[in-house]
Amino acid sequence: MNLNDFSLDRYRKHARAAGLLLAAILVAAWRTEVNFGDLAKASSKAASLIGLFFPPDWESFPKMIGPAFVTVLIAAVATPIGTLCALALGLASARNVSPPWLRLTMRSLIALERGVPEIVLVLILVAAFGIGPFTGVVALTIASIGMLGKLVGDAIEEIDTATVESVACVGATRGQLIRYAVLPQVMPSLLTNSMFRFEVNIRASVLLGAIGSGGIGYELMQSMNQLEYHKTTVAVAVSLLLVFLAERLSDVIRSRVLEGATLS
Amino acid sequence: MLKVTNLTKRLPNGKVLLNGITFTVEKGEFVGILGASGAGKSLTMRCIVGLTTVTDGEVIFRGESGKTYRTTTIQGKELRRARRNIGVIFQGFHLVKRLTVLENVMIGRLGRINPLRSWLYGFTDREAADAMEALGRVGMSDFAARATGSLSGGEMQRVAIARAIFQKPLCYLADEPIASLDPKNSRAIMRLLQPLASEQPIIGAFHQPEMTAQFCTRVIAIRNGTVIYDGDPHLSPAQLAQIYSQDDGSELEGGFDEPQSRPLVPALATR
Repeated sequence: MNLNDFSLDRYRKHARAAGLLLAAILVAAWRTEVNFGDLAKASSKAASLIGLFFPPDWESFPKMIGPAFVTVLIAAVATPIGTLCALALGLASARNVSPPWLRLTMRSLIALERGVPEIVLVLILVAAFGIGPFTGVVALTIASIGMLGKLVGDAIEEIDTATVESVACVGATRGQLIRYAVLPQVMPSLLTNSMFRFEVNIRASVLLGAIGSGGIGYELMQSMNQLEYHKTTVAVAVSLLLVFLAERLSDVIRSRVLEGATLS
Repeated sequence: MLKVTNLTKRLPNGKVLLNGITFTVEKGEFVGILGASGAGKSLTMRCIVGLTTVTDGEVIFRGESGKTYRTTTIQGKELRRARRNIGVIFQGFHLVKRLTVLENVMIGRLGRINPLRSWLYGFTDREAADAMEALGRVGMSDFAARATGSLSGGEMQRVAIARAIFQKPLCYLADEPIASLDPKNSRAIMRLLQPLASEQPIIGAFHQPEMTAQFCTRVIAIRNGTVIYDGDPHLSPAQLAQIYSQDDGSELEGGFDEPQSRPLVPALATR
């Protein structure tokens, strides 16, 4: 086979793959009732709707502060609890720390937690705990464990084994090894990941508020239902502000932690 | 003090890594182990501290108040007791980079303090003062509060030695402690080790015959997993040529490949 044949052959293969992909997208679009005519119609409707949201009803702003706090507190309680649980589960699910039976059990448990979306969790939990912020805390704690447990477990599996071995050589117990050789190595990734999870939890907390955990999300939903769109605008603005502030905070903390990491 | 008898390690594929290593080390000795890469120097050391299993043979270590430990077979608490009496220094230092220099030194005493206390509030002021003294002995007092990861290789090896000193062991094992350092730092590290040997014996693996000739009291040479020389540290060129002659090309493999017969963190997963 000469070089020309080879390259032509390759193009042919690419063309076939692209054709298949295009066909698949077209079928999917047909099944999901994609209709560009409707899109155009809906967007002109949406444009006229936007007018209803302005001017924002800033009078209602003071009434939003309390709910906004609830939203933040839900995330602020769920994140650290979730982080601590994730650390324990992560240790139990790491190949280099735990025996196989425990590891597999924990990995499956974490995967299960990660597999259930927050909304589904809240819908189930509302049935159990009723409507209220606590439901949101429990849902977000479980969701945090699902994500952080996996990340922590992976981080623990990637630590420098020689360092752990070297600490073991002074006669340290398993607990001491975790405290002095494992934790220091995973701490930066644990902190940055849990800060990121805090951001995600703020966003999720807004959303969950709409379906039962209270807070700014509930105000947003209420104002929509009562057609008080001017209030909705304020609620959206407050939500955006919360997300923005959470991101700033986590950026600051993360850069501090990473600064420490460059030292090592 | 330390008696290694017929130490043998065979891989499941039949490859023999250690073939009847036998030697005894007494107080006051600074033993240098020479041998090409893959000859079995490091593996011998790992067997002595129970970091790897052996196929045959044993290591008997006389610990505190004459108690003997068979480090090749014991596990769990007994192994931890034996290990706290053996100060190990590695070629790659293997310090905990995220902790400070002082914390790394204090880790040397983990085997002797209450595990619960070490978890909750760490070390006492008295222990910190002792650790500072150990740092002083290696000339690293000024670095106590530094992040360990920011040190150079020579500095980290000094900290590793301070940790071993602070451990107050009955014997030191140094696995190629100067192999990744420049000549000047190598010599400095050897000068630190030499006086330690007069207190507690040191067994060190080395790649520099001129260093072992200058600093060690005795040299053991290993070739293809067997001791082929044991005696005066001053070796003739002919003897050296014999030590570094390989007949299986293992110098190209750069050490041994032990299959994962034990978990990644043996100390964590098995006990």
